[in-house]
Amino acid sequence: MKNSDMLMHIKGKSVFIDDIRDIANIHHGVIFTSPVPKGIIKKLDVKKAEQADGVAAVFTYKDVPGENQIGHIIQDQPLLAEDSVNFVGDPIALVVAETRRQADNALKLIEIEIEELEPVSDPREAYGKGELLVPPRLMCFGETDEVWDKCETIVEGTAESGAQEHFYLETQGALSLPIEDGKVKVFASSQAPGGFQHTIAEVLGVPMHLVEIDIKRLGGAFGGKESCATWAALSAMAAKILDVPVKVVLNRKEDIQNSPKRHPYITDYKLGLDSEGKILAYEVMLYQNSGAYADISLPVLERSFLHAVSSYKIPNAKIRTAACRTNIVPNGAFRGFGVPQSVFAIESAIFKAAEVLGLHPSELQKKNLIHEADPFPYGMAAENCNAEKCWNSLDSKYNIENRIEYVKEYNEKNVLTKKGIAVQPVCFGVSFTQTALNQAGALVHIYTDGSLSVSTGAVEMGQGVNLKIAQIAAEELSVDLKRIKVETTNTTRVANASPTAASTGADLNGMAAKMACSELLKRLKKVAAEIFSVKREKIEIRDETVYAGGRETDITWEKLVNTAYWEKTDLSCHAFYATPLLKFDRDKEWGRPFAYHAYGTSLIEVTLDCIKGTYKIDSVDLVHDVGNSINEELDEGQIEGAVVQALGWSTIENMVFDEKGNMLTSTNSYKVPDIKFLPEKFNVHFLENAPNPYAVSNSKAVGEPPLIHGCGAYFAILNALTAVRKDKEMPSLPLTPEKAFMYIYEKE
Amino acid sequence: MISCIVNNKTVETGVNPGISVLEFVREELNLTGTKEGCKEGECGACTVLVGELHENGTVKYKACASCLLPLGEIDGRHIVTVEGLDSSLLRPVQKAVFNNNASQCGFCTPGIVLSLTGFLLTSESFGFNDALDALDGNICRCTGYASIRKAAEELSIIFKDKKGSVEKENRVEQLIDWEVLPEYFRSIGGRLENMIYSPSNISMFNENKVLIAGGTDLLVQKPEGLLAEDLVFASKLDSIELKQIKEANEYLHIGGAVTVEQLRKSEIIHKYFPSLENDLLLVSSTVMRNCATVAGNIVNASPIGDITIILLALNTRLILRKDHSRREVMLDKFYKGYKLMDIGGGEIIEKIVIPLPDETSLFNFEKVSNRKYLDIASCNSAVSIKTDNKTVQEITVSVGGVAPVPLLQNEVGKFLKGKNISTENLIEAGKILTSKISPIDDIRGTAEYKKLLTRQLLYSHFVKLFPDKIKYEEVAG
Repeated sequence: MKNSDMLMHIKGKSVFIDDIRDIANIHHGVIFTSPVPKGIIKKLDVKKAEQADGVAAVFTYKDVPGENQIGHIIQDQPLLAEDSVNFVGDPIALVVAETRRQADNALKLIEIEIEELEPVSDPREAYGKGELLVPPRLMCFGETDEVWDKCETIVEGTAESGAQEHFYLETQGALSLPIEDGKVKVFASSQAPGGFQHTIAEVLGVPMHLVEIDIKRLGGAFGGKESCATWAALSAMAAKILDVPVKVVLNRKEDIQNSPKRHPYITDYKLGLDSEGKILAYEVMLYQNSGAYADISLPVLERSFLHAVSSYKIPNAKIRTAACRTNIVPNGAFRGFGVPQSVFAIESAIFKAAEVLGLHPSELQKKNLIHEADPFPYGMAAENCNAEKCWNSLDSKYNIENRIEYVKEYNEKNVLTKKGIAVQPVCFGVSFTQTALNQAGALVHIYTDGSLSVSTGAVEMGQGVNLKIAQIAAEELSVDLKRIKVETTNTTRVANASPTAASTGADLNGMAAKMACSELLKRLKKVAAEIFSVKREKIEIRDETVYAGGRETDITWEKLVNTAYWEKTDLSCHAFYATPLLKFDRDKEWGRPFAYHAYGTSLIEVTLDCIKGTYKIDSVDLVHDVGNSINEELDEGQIEGAVVQALGWSTIENMVFDEKGNMLTSTNSYKVPDIKFLPEKFNVHFLENAPNPYAVSNSKAVGEPPLIHGCGAYFAILNALTAVRKDKEMPSLPLTPEKAFMYIYEKE
Repeated sequence: MISCIVNNKTVETGVNPGISVLEFVREELNLTGTKEGCKEGECGACTVLVGELHENGTVKYKACASCLLPLGEIDGRHIVTVEGLDSSLLRPVQKAVFNNNASQCGFCTPGIVLSLTGFLLTSESFGFNDALDALDGNICRCTGYASIRKAAEELSIIFKDKKGSVEKENRVEQLIDWEVLPEYFRSIGGRLENMIYSPSNISMFNENKVLIAGGTDLLVQKPEGLLAEDLVFASKLDSIELKQIKEANEYLHIGGAVTVEQLRKSEIIHKYFPSLENDLLLVSSTVMRNCATVAGNIVNASPIGDITIILLALNTRLILRKDHSRREVMLDKFYKGYKLMDIGGGEIIEKIVIPLPDETSLFNFEKVSNRKYLDIASCNSAVSIKTDNKTVQEITVSVGGVAPVPLLQNEVGKFLKGKNISTENLIEAGKILTSKISPIDDIRGTAEYKKLLTRQLLYSHFVKLFPDKIKYEEVAG
């Protein structure tokens, strides 16, 4: 089933924020931001900017009508800086002018004096100085301290991973319109209609009903548009005060500099195994580089915390986390949400143990896979566990052992190039770890001609959630998909929506839509039952035809709807869904934070050029668990896209900061995968016969889990590098061509 | 005043010729299908087709990044945005994208559609690799490209098949018949012919003006600065020689307005330097190479410019012209310091002259960058050698990224000249090379990395050119 949005995309007719042109007198806002990582503002003079051509106003924190605050988990982030700045890019003032060029020109006239303070960019250093968002968390499972003595092999080390830029093609932005009665309508490129509405209402000092958020589609998001409301809030504020429409759309340079990234982590690990290669104990400390403000760092870290053991059964584990406040850009959500960093830590430990034991890491990986009923360190038992099924399915298709043997033989014969191969198991918990967020509403209207309009809290960002919801609704009512229009995501139709995040968009909103349709179906069946004087249970609707007592009737869907209308039936229905069974006690770090887990296994092979240190990813073969797919074409696209993003994170996506926290990377030096980076062989398979009882239509979430496969690229390259030499420490991630080269050529 | 055709509409405008075509179509014409993704030629979301009238009345099209295309460049030309494909029916390119789910969020999609249309307009054979090359400047962050690659493959198969049955000489006419392009394309040639626009004469250029030779770097470095300048566009100068690649008197002559893609596709280049067709794929992307010029790369004076490094190794000289006077300067003497050149106000590079190789000549280019394609090199190097396959008779080695200017390594050349081609001599040459260079730490790599990498690139030249004469274990790992 194809996503019909594509028909607009290919004609260039899809409208994104910056494409909205049918509104008169749109003004343009540009943000003046901090040029230094940390400092005290001594003087700010915006007079010249105010007087520049076309400028309508220059706003500072003094102009914020309500709360000058956009922090939503910890209230620590001013919308516009007051007396201090804490990262390069910290917003200080907003210039609004008739054209973007005029606003840019005026921006240059702002004068500022800042007394620079000593910044921190390293999370370990921040930890040492006590710069933490909240006290560290600790989860103890089993008797970790006692079992080290029983371990045959113990490895220790540090795994360090870098920041990742989302590089969604549509940059951050919003267009706000003042409408009568003090209301502001905001068209935002946002994953979080409810959250943004709340923040903006506070900033404006008005009740939430005076802020309407409307979201048609996002040009990609990947978590990057989930939490930080700065740009939407500034556009709303300017529109409200100036009483004109105001657009704030970042250019790429501003977006890279100022928007949240995937968090860099430093992790210290210790892993102990018995003589059979079974993991007995794992201890890990995760230092998260949270950046200057809390943003959504704590939920990200919580997910890292809960995924510390990844796909493995570990009887004794001690997991510690610290959210370290530094002076780089506040980091936030990015597809995977803290899981890739945790996976990287434990896979590094396993790789190191395998090196010590002279094995390929896959031997240890396989031996320690989590099985049915095995407990995760937070108490929940693996249920419908597909870890081994995925492994075996991949093995039956690609013969993992043979492939590893082939690489070994290749490396014995070749000097100029070496191959490397890695297996990457996936186990990803699905649900917001903030349990209450696992709720969704849907509003379904049936019009008198039989067409339907469906509104939910889900945001379409290319993942095809609207199509999945339409499919669910069509199936529930047994009507043609063409009858269903999934509307924009709008806070006046569905209130208090959770962000479309944590891979739950279709799970939650699809279920709410299904429930609304189910209720409408009941009402329609009642009408049909009256027509045929049978009990409601005897009525069925199949392919838009009413069946009474199993017999086809001449009542079509359209006729039934029309009759229902004249019978004064309510043809609109709102439904509400909250994921059942979820419970998590943060005091005990114990409970069931996830509805279920999604699994997978992949095999990645690379070739390393030993003269130049460059490498090529030759193949990615994977089996992934999507439950009963609602839409195989969409799910395949999600898997491919997620995997390639993680291939980038593991290899070439290199975001560099200097020791002060200045970002050295810019538009032309941040490289995401291009079409030629794509491995020549890329085979995606769904795990067969794996229905999931815990989500709508027995499906599974697919947004984030498959991203984990791509982490294997790091270990495949490392596998090739260790065929050249073995006396080096593991490089940090991303394993860029430079690091691969230095691994080969740097003297120890 | 600028006159052009945008899609099916003749447009005259007095807008500043220094703004980008992207800004023009979006802000002035409200054609919002063309997206701004980065404004630095890094993403391809703004890709448009540019059609230029040729002497026989046909129109030749190429895909360009409109964010780095100054409006002045399209005076007298045809611009095609996604809207210009005419959405009354789905074109084969659009169908291929749809059939293969090669679009998710949709923001990059118009660019993909136009790059693939560009592929059908320019590829001789409709080969799959040509289709991939055509997409080398289009970033998609959603799909992971697997579906886009399938769409490219589908198109390649369909059109190879069609080509087998019948093909018109005029590609545009052929593509109209095949419904790749709408009917109105038939009228474009005639309309461009009748269009009154202002061609430039080389004598119009003087020290008070700024010459745009492609502009793909200038529009990144100082887009706003150009708005205040009096611009002359190299591609619009009425000298045919400027746009030609010719062979004469043992020399290759490359005109000052020749684009990088033109060089890459030149039959003369294929004849004398066959490896360059692939090497030049490492230079930026199709949508940039279609606009960027060889001379522009030279005067950009980047210490890491790929083309400069290639030309240095080929003992290139430049013909500089001011009004009617000309002078010659060897390329390695052209650079005086970081971004400082031996070129005066009002002077232009009229020609780039390369001695033709003979049967004893070998050439090789090496580049390492973080991402293999569409990335700036950490280090690059080229070598040209005359040899009897035993000894080095003549050798020129150039390296980039290790000094403020692109460099020739004369000491390395001096050492190797007359010597046997052997691992020992190569390693010795590597030592000399590393002692002569002084790279710095920057975003493209640490000094230590670049130093060692440069040596490895020298090794790589010899491993490629003389695979039987070098002991691999001595130079790799």
